[in-house]
Order: sequence, then structure tokens, then C-alpha cells
Amino acid sequence: MLFLQLLVSGIQTGAIYALTAAGFALIFGATRVFHVAHGATFALAGYTFLALSQAGFPWFLGAGAALVVAVAFGLFMDFFVYRPIQRHEGSFFTVFVAAFGMSIVVQSLIEIGFGRGFAVVASPLTRAHEVLPGLYLADIFWVAIGVALVMFGAVTLFLERTRLGIGLRALSENPELLRAFGLSSRRLSMVAFGLGSALAVPGAVLTAVTSGLQPAISAQVMLVSLAAAVVGGIGSLRGAALAGLLLGVVENLVVSVLDTQWSAAAGFVVLFAFILFKPSGLFGQAVAR
Amino acid sequence: MLHRRSLLAATALGLASPLAAPRLARAQAGAHVIGTLFPMAGPNAEYGGIFTSGIQLAIEHITADKMLQRPIDLRAQDSQGTPQGGAVGMTKLANVDRAPYVLLGFTGVSKAAAPIGTRNKTVMINGGGVGPDLAELSPYFWNVIPLVNQEVQAMLPWLQAQKLLKIALVYVDDPLGTGVLSELKNGLPGIGGQLVGSFSIPPATQQFAAIAARVRDSKPDAVYFASYGAQQSQIVKQLRDNGVSQPLLTYSGGSIPSVQALPEAEGLVLSGQAADWTREDPVTKRFVTDWRAKHNSEPTAYHQNYYNGMRLFGLLAQGLEKAGKPVDGENLREEWLRVKRFALVGGEGVFEERGTMSMPMQINQVRGGRSQKIA
Repeated sequence: MLFLQLLVSGIQTGAIYALTAAGFALIFGATRVFHVAHGATFALAGYTFLALSQAGFPWFLGAGAALVVAVAFGLFMDFFVYRPIQRHEGSFFTVFVAAFGMSIVVQSLIEIGFGRGFAVVASPLTRAHEVLPGLYLADIFWVAIGVALVMFGAVTLFLERTRLGIGLRALSENPELLRAFGLSSRRLSMVAFGLGSALAVPGAVLTAVTSGLQPAISAQVMLVSLAAAVVGGIGSLRGAALAGLLLGVVENLVVSVLDTQWSAAAGFVVLFAFILFKPSGLFGQAVAR
Repeated sequence: MLHRRSLLAATALGLASPLAAPRLARAQAGAHVIGTLFPMAGPNAEYGGIFTSGIQLAIEHITADKMLQRPIDLRAQDSQGTPQGGAVGMTKLANVDRAPYVLLGFTGVSKAAAPIGTRNKTVMINGGGVGPDLAELSPYFWNVIPLVNQEVQAMLPWLQAQKLLKIALVYVDDPLGTGVLSELKNGLPGIGGQLVGSFSIPPATQQFAAIAARVRDSKPDAVYFASYGAQQSQIVKQLRDNGVSQPLLTYSGGSIPSVQALPEAEGLVLSGQAADWTREDPVTKRFVTDWRAKHNSEPTAYHQNYYNGMRLFGLLAQGLEKAGKPVDGENLREEWLRVKRFALVGGEGVFEERGTMSMPMQINQVRGGRSQKIA
């Protein structure tokens, strides 16, 4: 029963990791911008939800406000940080430092606004009940699974069935050719940042309710996002989602055979294994040089 | 037309001026430079704010009483709660700021900073770290907080009285956690108890559902956790969310507001030094009255410890100034060895040669979001 319990916990953790990683993978896949400030988007969304919940607003208004803040921040980064750097042909490193600096600014602002401690949105959904002898399950498990399925279904449909979605997928491949088809790479980049930032919201809301928030959470979010993006295959949305799920399950299941100390490290053992034996990841394309 | 570069320069100047002015004013010649080495950012930053507020009140009192001839210049370094941050911060405080007296916290930070402070003859005061090996760390390292071995020893008779004899331990894998593990392993058999499970976690872990499953599987009477910062709240919440209904126990690190405010922390039992705010001695009375007036809340043991740490400097430096001796680390230590007994918050503080201060202990329980003494 311990194994089943760990598997169930792993799926819940993995669903949240998948939602966390998907936005980063979408933005990087479409624009090739290493958006380290995606962790800050996640933190801003989480704290917006927290602020409105503490102010007594219903959860859907809190989630809606979190969505607005996350998308606005993503667009701000695209317009006012990345584009000026790219206009001056700034290097990958310049983009990285600018985004990292912005994450620190956001963290400091959150510390000023909300304090430096731990914060959580209380919800009866997180309390587990014994559904079988020795197997505990909380209602939030079904919420996390349901939200992840709906989100990935909707985004996949958008990317595969709409002209804008197909353009987004093509953006990273050949921006010049896009122009020939009458599509604007700037507009598509905006869509990528808006949509990618919106994808951070469900993960942020679920984290605010389950494991809680603290101002420095963006570092952890980026660690998970990066690991999932590499394991899933750089730029692949479904790869990042599946890899997030895999990392969550591995982190939990490893505890059944190894010391609990190894839980967090297990995910990174998976990451190293992929880097060594399948560097293109689960759904990435191998590139011959 | 205003160029962007000029605009940026003007903005930078505008931002810098209000910050630079007090700094220039503070850096006056001959001030006593005091260092603080606390986590000011990251998951443990809540402690930095708590520790500093205790020091600030003590400085206000030292200044109001005109205890010292020279003003105090407080220089802060962010330890980030890590040994690496502790070593870097201590190096700056000792070598650049030339602080003869540094207040610090956290076991790992203290152990990393101690050799650097000792080399520079800088007195180091710990009011937050509780790892047992902080005793006798250095002749220049003094503790104004009981160490965790004292805390666990205080908890054992209470566990025996409550018949909570099978204990599972969730501990962060660092000197604090391994100290608690060792104390429980050695102490529980003495009261007829046993450690039925011990689960180590890295300091950055945030997911505890799997650990909760292992804890439940070990069927304990109570669960002790030894961690710090935001991680403590995550442990409490996630253990409760994942079906661990047994009493939760911890050490004084759990006395921070973010832990106690959690609904899941209701009933949490924690050990700590005796904090009697009803004492009538003038030092305690003034501390409690002024704290309540300033913060509109009750002080905690951490506020008390860092107030005492700063007040200790005031008393030592006052003695040195009167004797016409320079206020440096070496003389501060000599003065400390000479006096040994100090009027501090909570009563007379008596230091032992090994750099520890003996204090009575008590057991508290979180009730309605506040710690209340139960034994």
C-alpha cells in the first residue's frame, strides 16, 4: 500500500510540476528566449491569488486576477526587457542576466509586500481522507489532474488547429518565412509570452493551496521547469508536461526503496541520465552536426 | 532633448541619494561597528527580520541611556542561512568593516563563520543556532540561547508523562538535524521509548507527501521535526494534509509567527527557554513594555536573545570605555571573562567557560495561534 500511496502522491506532485514547466517550455520553444523570469511570473501569480483570497474574494476571482498579473508581467518582460536587448543584438548571457535580475526585483517586492515568511491559502480540498486502508487521497488530487488535462488539451488544440498556434510553432524555426506568409514574428512572440505566462497560473494557484508560497519560490520553479524542459526535449510542450509528471512520480517513488534524503535528488538523477543517454529528451529532435 | 543615458543617470542618482545620506551620516568617525550575519533573503529570511528587531530595540535603549561614549554603527551581511553565505559575510564583516562584535544565527552559518571570526579576534554572539556543537566552538564564540541537546532533554520527561514513547523524526540533514537525531536516539531508551523512524531531508525540500506516507507507515505516537524557516511550515501543513494525525513536536525554531499562525500547527508542542514576561526586574520589564508599545505584539525568545546579545555588547563596551581601554574583540573577551554575570532580559545571565549560558527550559503548545506554556 505504501507503493500505491507514493505513486498517487507522485502523480499529484507531477501534475503540478507539469503545469509549472509547460509555460517555460512553450516560451522557449517558440521564441528561444531563456525566460528565467518565468519563476517570477509563477511567484507573482501565486501571491496575487493569495492576496485576493486573504481579502475574502472567491477563488475564481483570485485566479482571474492571477491570470491578468501573470500575462501582464510576461508581456512586460517581452516588450521592455527582451526586445530592447534583442534590438541591440544582446547575447544569450545578457538576456539571462536581465531576466535573473528581474526575478530578484520581483522577489524583493514580494518580500516588501507580503513579508519573508511562508504563506498558504487554506482550503479543505487539501485534507486527505483514507479511501482504502493505508491509502490517503485529498480532493485536490482530482483537481490537479483535471486542471492539467484540460490545460494541456486546450493548448495542444490551439497549437495544432489554429493558424496562430501553427505560426507559434513555426516561429522558432524560420521567422523570415513567417513574414512571407503575412505573420508578424513580434505579434507571435507576444502570444508566446502571454500564453506561456498564463500557463504558470494553475500551477501557482495549486502550489499556493498545497505546499504554500515563500518569496524565494521562483528559484525552485525554475529548477523544475529547466529539468522538465531538458528531459522532455527542449521546446516540446508535451515533452515538458510528461517530464514534469515523471519527475514528480520518481521523486515520490524513490522514497520506497532509498532514504528520504534522496527524494529531491532522484529527479536530477533522471535529468543526468537523459543528458548522458538521450540528450534530445523525450520528444526533442536529435540534431546532427 | 533628454537622452536615455542622462535619464538613467538621473534616476540612479535620485535613488542613491536617500540611501547614501544616512549611510554617510552613520559612518561617522569612531563609531562602534557591530556586524549582523543573518539570512535576509530566501526561505529563511523571516528569521533575519526577527533577529534584527531584537537588536534594534537594544540599540535604542543603549542610546537612550547614554551607556556608550560613541555611537553604534550596525553593518548587516546576508548569510542566506547557508555555511557558504556565512563564510563570505563573516569575511566582509571582519576584514572590511573591521567589526569587533558580530551577532549571528543558524548552526551551519555559525560553524562556517567561527574560524574566520576567531582568526580576526572578533566576538561572535549566537542567539538563534542550536546545534549541540556550537558549545566550545571558539573562545570568541558565545551562545545566548540554550542548545538543542538541552531542548531535547527538556522534552523527554514530558513525553514520558504523556506516554508518547514511539517517536518518528523528520530532520534536516545538517548539524542541527543530526544533533536532534543523536539526542533522541540516546535519550528515548532512558524513558522507555524508541525512535521508530528517522527521515532525513535536504534543507531545500518543499514536497513532503512521500515523507508523510513513510511517517504514517512507522506508526509513531508522536512526530518530531527538526528544521527551520519556511520548510517548517511546509512540513506541518503537508504532514497534516497527508493523514498524519499524531501530535507534532519540535524545538524553539518553531516559535516563528508563520508556523504558529498555521491552522495545522494547532496543538504543536515545542520546547524552548523559559520566557517569563511577568518578571519584575527592571531590564525584563523595560524590554517587554517597550516591545509591546513598539510592535503591538508579544516578544518571542528570539527577540529576547538578540536583545540580550546586543545589550551584552553595551555592558562590555561600557566597562572598557570607563577603563580607557580600546573596544576590540580581545578586550571584549577579557571583560566578558572578568565579569561573567550580566543583568539581561529574563534575569541574570551567567556564562560558562565553554561559551554557553545556562537557562531554565519550558514546554509550550500552540493554542489559537500562540505559544502557551504547558510544562
